[in-house]
Amino acid sequence: MHSENRAPKSLTLAAVGGLLFLHLPIVLIFLYAFTTEERTYQFPPPGLTLKWFAVAWNRADIWPPLYLSLLVASISTLMALVLGTLCAAAMARARFFGRDQLSLLIILPIALPGVITGMSLRSAFSLMDIPFSTLTIILGHATFCIVIVFNNAVARYRRLSGSIAEASADLGANAFQTFRHILLPNLGSALLAGAMLAFALSFDEVIVTTFTAGQQSTLPIWMLQELVRPRQRPVTNVVAIVVFATTFIPILIAYYLTRGGSETAGGGK
Amino acid sequence: MKSALLPERGPGDRLTAIFWRRPRVLLLLLITPPLLWLGVVYIGSLAALLLQSFYSIDEFSGLVVREFTLKTYVELFRPANFDIIRRTLVMSASVTLASAVLAFPIAYYAARYATGRWKAVFYLGIMLPLWSSYLVKVYAWKLILAKEGIVTWVADGLGLGFLLDAALALPGVGGNSLSTSFLGTFLVFVYVWLPYMILPMQAALERVPKSMLEASADLGASSAQTFRTVILPLAMPGVIAGSIFTFSLTMGDYIIPQIVGTSARFIGLAVYQLQGTAGNLPLAAAFAVVPIIIMLIYLSLAKRAGAFDAL
Amino acid sequence: MTVAVEFASVSRHFGTVRAVDEVDLSIAEGTFFAMLGPSGSGKTTCLRLISGFEKPTHGAIRIFGQDVSNTPPNRRNVNTVFQDYALFPHLNVRENVGYGLMVKGVGRATRNARAEEMLALVKLDGFGERKPGQLSGGQRQRVALARALVNEPRVLLLDEPLGALDLKLREAMQDELKALQKRLGITFVFVTHDQTEALSMADRLAVFNHGKIAQIGTPSEIYAQPRTRFVADFVGSSNVLPPKLAQRLGAAPKWSSLRPEALRLTDTRTAALAGTVTGLRYLGAGTRVTVVVTGAELGVLVPTGSPLPEQGAEVGIVFDAADLHPMEEA
Repeated sequence: MHSENRAPKSLTLAAVGGLLFLHLPIVLIFLYAFTTEERTYQFPPPGLTLKWFAVAWNRADIWPPLYLSLLVASISTLMALVLGTLCAAAMARARFFGRDQLSLLIILPIALPGVITGMSLRSAFSLMDIPFSTLTIILGHATFCIVIVFNNAVARYRRLSGSIAEASADLGANAFQTFRHILLPNLGSALLAGAMLAFALSFDEVIVTTFTAGQQSTLPIWMLQELVRPRQRPVTNVVAIVVFATTFIPILIAYYLTRGGSETAGGGK
Repeated sequence: MKSALLPERGPGDRLTAIFWRRPRVLLLLLITPPLLWLGVVYIGSLAALLLQSFYSIDEFSGLVVREFTLKTYVELFRPANFDIIRRTLVMSASVTLASAVLAFPIAYYAARYATGRWKAVFYLGIMLPLWSSYLVKVYAWKLILAKEGIVTWVADGLGLGFLLDAALALPGVGGNSLSTSFLGTFLVFVYVWLPYMILPMQAALERVPKSMLEASADLGASSAQTFRTVILPLAMPGVIAGSIFTFSLTMGDYIIPQIVGTSARFIGLAVYQLQGTAGNLPLAAAFAVVPIIIMLIYLSLAKRAGAFDAL
Repeated sequence: MTVAVEFASVSRHFGTVRAVDEVDLSIAEGTFFAMLGPSGSGKTTCLRLISGFEKPTHGAIRIFGQDVSNTPPNRRNVNTVFQDYALFPHLNVRENVGYGLMVKGVGRATRNARAEEMLALVKLDGFGERKPGQLSGGQRQRVALARALVNEPRVLLLDEPLGALDLKLREAMQDELKALQKRLGITFVFVTHDQTEALSMADRLAVFNHGKIAQIGTPSEIYAQPRTRFVADFVGSSNVLPPKLAQRLGAAPKWSSLRPEALRLTDTRTAALAGTVTGLRYLGAGTRVTVVVTGAELGVLVPTGSPLPEQGAEVGIVFDAADLHPMEEA
């Protein structure tokens, strides 16, 4: 390597320090799940134990929020997958009147702070006398998940050679055959990556959800309540690990699915 | 020899012919479901928010009066409420500034020096904290900043406890412990939104051709001069793009000040409490309109600065 | 003679741009037809009108006598070799070649057998299992060709198919394509901006300019008797003489063309034209000498081996009067 390509020591130090700053706090969550001290956040932990995993497993109030979060994330992801793919297909096809406005409309739900999306939905439900339910949660989640799928699909469309759909038609395939045999296989991994990220985003979402959930608790809402009024602190850490893992794994999968392309997943949360 | 035209086989071919003759039909079929969803659910809700903000609350019954009035907006300017807005803006601006400073070395290193395996390490190293659970990250900081937590432990261990105490004794931003002070709130905000600043910055820096930096060096510029006159201006669109995120996200957040910080309210927290326990939906809606307006102004300024090319 | 492709005053406008403007064209069955022109001249749009990826704004297109105004690309028995080949990246070579048969419902065994046959035809036996990404540019081009030919099209369209290949490979492919066309008897319509390629391969060619056909004819007609200044200039970089100069040389007062290889250099006394040498460009087989005479700049092709003038020398130019070709349009 040439000397001009070597970074100054101070820069390397700052960059690596920055990365550590981003990662060390998360490691602590893991450590605290094993502490024997349950009332404070004493550091270093006075002792280590595995008992909190068993305690968490037996806590009846954790399971319903977990199920609800999984349900909401799955349905929202499916809806976002359909709507986001349709959007990407339309946007990739042609320039049409209102195209720019539409792309703005798609990114708006994540460009504006979540509190606005949440408060807007809350206002709408109130004005139309719609009671809170699982459905109202999904309504909110699907809305901000569309853009995640859309971003991934559109980036892949752009990378595909523009003429392969034409080549397929040229060889005698109708629109449906072209979709099934050519577009779907080539978009597949990008769509899956989008779905993974959408799932992670939805599973973890708390800001919009508090406005649309009413009395129900998703896992993040359960966690939030524990943070505000702690009961058994290490149990919260165990749940935090579960939430972390449930979002972390899909993100890694998404990364490996889109690696090597210019459109590696995640750029546009 | 086959015929020059092939026969139509089945409904798939028939529909394909319709799509070909009238391309708008297909476009319409594709665009209608998402447009309907976003138009009705999202735009509809935003309209409801706006509508709600022009209603008011009856002070005696506590019920929403569905009549057009500007009364609720006037309330925003009461000193207590105006303080919330001002405090939020100051916090958003400080968080944005601190993120930009912290993000630069990471973005610059990742864009210019990281190659091969290191490039992937940096990519994942920025992407994972960005996507990993927001609530878990906030929670981690609650642990770190607690009075009996790791920061105090490290500070005492290094004999720097007096520095921490001095920081906490600062009027306005200090407090009992980091987890109950403005300083703590600020730290967590910076931590949580930092990746949103790094990514656009890195994208902007990656677009600076190496030859341009070499040209600057060839022309006799010192590295400090190159930095100030070449790199910084070229990184600026990325900084602005990143600041859109950090500013907007800080302005709307209501979880972090709830968990780490004083009891002083921010816009997000005000919206959350007003719509919840207070049951004052109109005022909550009016509060929510404030960040929208600020962001619209911010976005139009950023657009003029060319920040959107870096997104 | 059967007409394979026929344009009846076909126009294709994109907004205010007339990409194809009132074109009349008829391509006889079994010809190797080239569409030649600079980029933006409308030749590629014409090709896309035949395949069906563009629809005419006005006029009618007939393929073997049948109006295709209502026929989408998938129902035209016309196949295209795309400029970037457009191979399907997720399918292997055999599946790529068999794709056209697959979507028409041909069984796997027949499909694979036909695909192998086609791969043999383009000399790619044994490459069936590879993915397009593992092939060289020349090999990809052959796969694209096999993929189109397996459908037994009545017309094969080729959109600058040799553009991405290096010179040596391009020349080899030119010969191969020509031989293949003769053997299969299929009508080939070939788009190119390379005039040597068009002249050497085509039976007939159309020269496009600004969305119109400037001239249509056999390569030798177009080369020897360009109809317009544009054709004379674009095909073989001919000398274009203004009317006054043509008149002085004893021809009609019209814009005229004079091929560089029809001119010979002599000494100044015996020549009808005299001028000063301002440039010499060595081309291998000959040298192009630029001579400035009153009112024009002429290029003279001097075969290698013949004596060359010095830069700045006064020279005379002689030619056969029959080679001075008057053009119909300015």
